[in-house]
Amino acid sequence: MNSTLDPELQALRDNLLEMVDLIEEQLERSKKSLVKVDRDIAKSILEGEKRVNDMELIIGKDCENILALHHPVATDLRFVIATMKMSYDLERTGDNIKIFAKFLHANLHKNNLSLIERFKFDSFIDLFIEWLHEVKKSIKSDNPDLVKKIIKSSQIMEKRKSATKLAAELIKENPDKVKVILRLYALVQRMARIGSMITNICEEIVFYREAKVLKHHAKK
Amino acid sequence: MKNIIETKDVNVFYDTNHVLKDITMDIKEHSVTAFIGPSGCGKSTFIRCLNRMNDYIESFSMKGQVLIDGKDIYKKKVRVEELRQKVGMVFQKPNPFPKSIFENVAYGLHIQGETDKQLIAERVEKSLHRSALWKEVKDILHKSALSLSGGQQQRLCIARTLAVKPSVILMDEPASALDPISTAKIEELILELKQHYTIVIVTHNMQQASRISDRTAFFYMGDLIEYDKTKDIFTNPKKKETENYISGRFG
Amino acid sequence: MSKLKTNRLIDSAFKYVGIACTLFGLAMLGIFIGDILIKGLMRIDWDFITSLPSRKASKAGILTAWTGTAWILGLTSIIAIPLGISAGIYLEEYGKKSRLASLIEVNIANLAGIPSIIYGLLGLEIFVRVLNFGGSLIAGALTLSLLILPIIIVGTREAIKAVPTSLREASYGLGATKWQTIWHQVLPAASGGILTGIILALSRAIGETAPLIVIGALAYVPFVAHSPFDEFTVLPMQIFNWVSRPQHEFLVNGAAAIIILLLITFVMNGIALYLRNKWQKKIKW
Repeated sequence: MNSTLDPELQALRDNLLEMVDLIEEQLERSKKSLVKVDRDIAKSILEGEKRVNDMELIIGKDCENILALHHPVATDLRFVIATMKMSYDLERTGDNIKIFAKFLHANLHKNNLSLIERFKFDSFIDLFIEWLHEVKKSIKSDNPDLVKKIIKSSQIMEKRKSATKLAAELIKENPDKVKVILRLYALVQRMARIGSMITNICEEIVFYREAKVLKHHAKK
Repeated sequence: MKNIIETKDVNVFYDTNHVLKDITMDIKEHSVTAFIGPSGCGKSTFIRCLNRMNDYIESFSMKGQVLIDGKDIYKKKVRVEELRQKVGMVFQKPNPFPKSIFENVAYGLHIQGETDKQLIAERVEKSLHRSALWKEVKDILHKSALSLSGGQQQRLCIARTLAVKPSVILMDEPASALDPISTAKIEELILELKQHYTIVIVTHNMQQASRISDRTAFFYMGDLIEYDKTKDIFTNPKKKETENYISGRFG
Repeated sequence: MSKLKTNRLIDSAFKYVGIACTLFGLAMLGIFIGDILIKGLMRIDWDFITSLPSRKASKAGILTAWTGTAWILGLTSIIAIPLGISAGIYLEEYGKKSRLASLIEVNIANLAGIPSIIYGLLGLEIFVRVLNFGGSLIAGALTLSLLILPIIIVGTREAIKAVPTSLREASYGLGATKWQTIWHQVLPAASGGILTGIILALSRAIGETAPLIVIGALAYVPFVAHSPFDEFTVLPMQIFNWVSRPQHEFLVNGAAAIIILLLITFVMNGIALYLRNKWQKKIKW
């Protein structure tokens, strides 16, 4: 028991978990907005984004203080470094959700609805929420095994592939709506990026627990 | 780089008290090796085994081998005085002789019977240069060494050791009695000395070990728990005890 | 509250009792010294110091006595100092911690406390009779050497013990042998302490009378000693002789001789004090 460092690390971990919660809420709001076809909910996401950004700053400051004042080593050091990277990834995730929400806020009309539904954004969001649950469990229990299957998962890639195919078909079918379809397809790319960021977070968890660097190896 | 020090199954007893257990370790030439561990773990006893400074403790007995340049230093015909010229030592508290600065550095040569004044003066100057003390003391060489500050005294002790041309320098917590600036100077000096000498240092200061050493050995209760590259010890130790110790979660 | 008052009372009471005791001791000493000074000071002149003893009190001097004391001091120093220091070094640095060593240690400590007359008897048997030195200076010096040897040994050991281990380690660490370490580092560092011990020991030797009486030193020696085998007297003997005579004039002579003896002792103690202070100031660990 290190009586000075441990409370600091605990506080840092709590903030990290809270940030994951915030992202999860943002995802849930997006889904609600999508399902209920409610543009006001989409607007509330834009406000939620501010809290995500604030939390990233808090975590960054926490990490800086711990490094400067407590000189952590080994697992502690890796945890602090990993947390910095995870908070960065979470913040970027938030940005992507915000862009998605902006689109919904501007384009969630009756005449676009059928097209939007075809791209199955809700299935992406469901998957992310499920993953974030695992991430939280893993951080709380210091158990990296929970997230290893996420790192190996190829679901995002498959979803993206089918979306490409779908977009090609839709463009042929609705040449008058090419612009909307392309924007929707771009949003799928955003979703894919969120997926890879959550995967990065999972890799950081494995790094700080096991000191193994999975990045750039696992995918080869 | 070749191994300059090799120990094989070193066991040390104080009377019946088993203070070091089967220590086997290689130390590379021109490197800095740090010994860390809680008080009473045996690290100081072990470093003193490397130049037989434990010989004067009556209850001390040792089994195993300590090879320096491939020669067993505990063999009967080894001359301890020659060994100590080759393997010098710097102690925890600066301990200059109550003599002048010059005489302190020249002492090692005097006891070797060196009488060539020219040579002695040259060697003293060179040693003081190497220990980064020359600029500070060149005008007061004949003042008492006790008039220097603690940090200067410790660098004088290092200069004194350098004057007898050792190849290994053992340092037993050399900066533990010094302020941060003097400590930084000693550390800087250690990194410079590394080019010409092999340095083994006992320290209680984890940051010091991580800053200056190439390899770190963690001792606990007379066992060598882990010995590895310093980078690995401080980022990813293999043993739970090591991690607990370096992250301050001991006991 | 009342408990506190009582404690305070006891506190200040003890302080005054302490002051009273100290003053009593000082007063007694003052009275003795004053008495002697009044009686003897006027008697001291150049003739008193340079005259031989005489049956007539006004003509008697202490020449033989103080030269005898000087001889004894010199000879005792020559004999006891090298022996004592060497033994001290051996016991402290070389003697292994065996049973025999601890036996010797205890005995040396005890020897320092043995009444001096016992040394006198030892000297009488060995030096006067067996070695046939008679009641000569050399017999006296040897006897006194035995007497002060334990003091010098203990003093040397204490002084050597006070030299910090770090100094020895520094010397060994540079490849010095044991003897080099002792000669270049330990002895210089301990020299102040050793000197203090020596001077205190010699101060004791100066005042001793009993062992010299036993070995047959004479109170009346009408000539100054020229060799260690001459008969001799010393200041305390002369004083003893004079004060045991009935005539008042001899008592005055005794007082004057006491002043000289005290003076020598004070000077020697002063030197010891000076050396100790100088030593402590010079070496700060």
